[in-house]
Amino acid sequence: MTPDETGAPRTAHAAHEPRIAPLGDAALTVVFGERIDAALGERVRRAASSVRRAAAAGAIAGVVDVVPAYTTLVVHYDPLAVEHATIAARVLELVRALPDAADGVVDAPRHHVLSVRYDGPDLDDVARRCGLGVREVVERHASAEYRVELVGFVPGFGYLAPLDPALVLPRRDRPRRAVPAGSVAIAGAQTGVYPLTTPGGWHLIGRTDVALFDPARAEPALLRVGDRVRFVPSA
Amino acid sequence: MAPTIVVERSRGYLAVQDLGRPGHRADGVPPGGAMDRLALRLANLLAGNVGTAAALEWSVGESVLRLARDTRLAIAGAGARATLDGETAPLWTSIAARAGSALRLEPTPGGRFCYVAIAGGIDVPIVLGSRATYLPARFGGHEGRALDAGDALAAGAPRDALPAEGAAIPESLRPAYDSAAPIRVVATAQAELLDERGWRALLGEEHRIGPGDRMGYRLDGPAMPPRAADALPSEGACAGAVQLPGDGHPIVLMPDGPTVGGYAKPAVVIGADLARLAQRPIGGAVRFARVEVVEAQAATRRAEAKGEELARYLRELAENDIRRSR
Repeated sequence: MTPDETGAPRTAHAAHEPRIAPLGDAALTVVFGERIDAALGERVRRAASSVRRAAAAGAIAGVVDVVPAYTTLVVHYDPLAVEHATIAARVLELVRALPDAADGVVDAPRHHVLSVRYDGPDLDDVARRCGLGVREVVERHASAEYRVELVGFVPGFGYLAPLDPALVLPRRDRPRRAVPAGSVAIAGAQTGVYPLTTPGGWHLIGRTDVALFDPARAEPALLRVGDRVRFVPSA
Repeated sequence: MAPTIVVERSRGYLAVQDLGRPGHRADGVPPGGAMDRLALRLANLLAGNVGTAAALEWSVGESVLRLARDTRLAIAGAGARATLDGETAPLWTSIAARAGSALRLEPTPGGRFCYVAIAGGIDVPIVLGSRATYLPARFGGHEGRALDAGDALAAGAPRDALPAEGAAIPESLRPAYDSAAPIRVVATAQAELLDERGWRALLGEEHRIGPGDRMGYRLDGPAMPPRAADALPSEGACAGAVQLPGDGHPIVLMPDGPTVGGYAKPAVVIGADLARLAQRPIGGAVRFARVEVVEAQAATRRAEAKGEELARYLRELAENDIRRSR
């Protein structure tokens, strides 16, 4: 085993001990594991909550942004306020102090219900490719409770999982140059809503009027990692 | 509010920028802000502003700005030649411009971004803590977009103590954009996703700046395909990240680049060198060198100390000028 730069031994599966490495000189990445799994994602979210709370309480200096993802947590910081070695050690301490058992997420997830007009331009095509009727596609999409796994790529875009396996399709071969804001879409094992009009390669199955991103709001992005989302077909 | 500056012509890119909006990456909002942060800060100091004021970021296309009022301004960066009513307007200099005068910027080789700072700063609404324009989501700056002919902008109230007219940053203290020194990178947690041959190609060979914009610059040159291109879960990214799509042609993320991504990022350009990379023209050569994070952060601290020294120098010029005039 080779020690990582904080001196902790690096094991092949990193079951309990994450490794930390610089992400440039103003951020670091905490790697919790190599493959997506639900327990790992939960651990990342709890670590993110812990770092955010510690930063808000002044218990860790220099933190600017905390970005959880499937298997990693990126902490952006001010390199003029703190050096890498110092903040990496602090983050590792916070992560080590997390309880092993999932005894509740530190930040309670919010639950969102989004009303959707299931009339997207790809709905018929999705139904055909999945060997299902349109109604069944809608029922399967709308009957699930999704978790926000990741936010990013464009402001307010939440990657929602798990999508019903019967609806799993690869992305479109030819992305659209402009997917309208509010489009409800699926690709791979995930679903999501486009917060803005942007290019996109997911299959469009509906539209929602809910604003997933508004820079004028106190909380500009509606979705946070760990939140739960349900879709409801509108009349 | 009465305008201070009116865009008469904008053949390239012109937009309001400041030092950006860090603190919102968890919402998918990248920090954005000036591609060359030091040049923006110095232009501001020369115009009598705090370094963080909003200015105009200009790139690669002839622009003409009409000053509607007597004002103090400064231009800093690379890749432009400026004239004020036809007379050469030196960069890196505090310039008094009279109402009605026209400032013209033309592209020159050797750089890409210049900053035009106006005393008082550009006054546009603050969105998510900043006046920077975020074009992909169309918010911030002036109506969330690049400026066009006919756009009129107001400036804030100038501060009392402006630098002396003609105060300039000496050439020896300006950023060395044409330096042949390699762009330094730090290896990341994904360093092993690039094999030895790939690292030798990244560090040992010359690359050329390919097409790009404020979200990222593509690099042309040797291909560096990453291991396991398909299976990576997305994770947090940052400006300077050297992303490797499956085809092996790197894309270096810039300040408006996405906050997360699924491409391998074995290396990140250090903060102190990102502006120099951003200022490289398309087709320009670039080499990379790997450093440890300790050295990268030392470079950041040195750059900041140098910026503070320049700010002090300009303040002393202003004070000396005030004393002399008493």
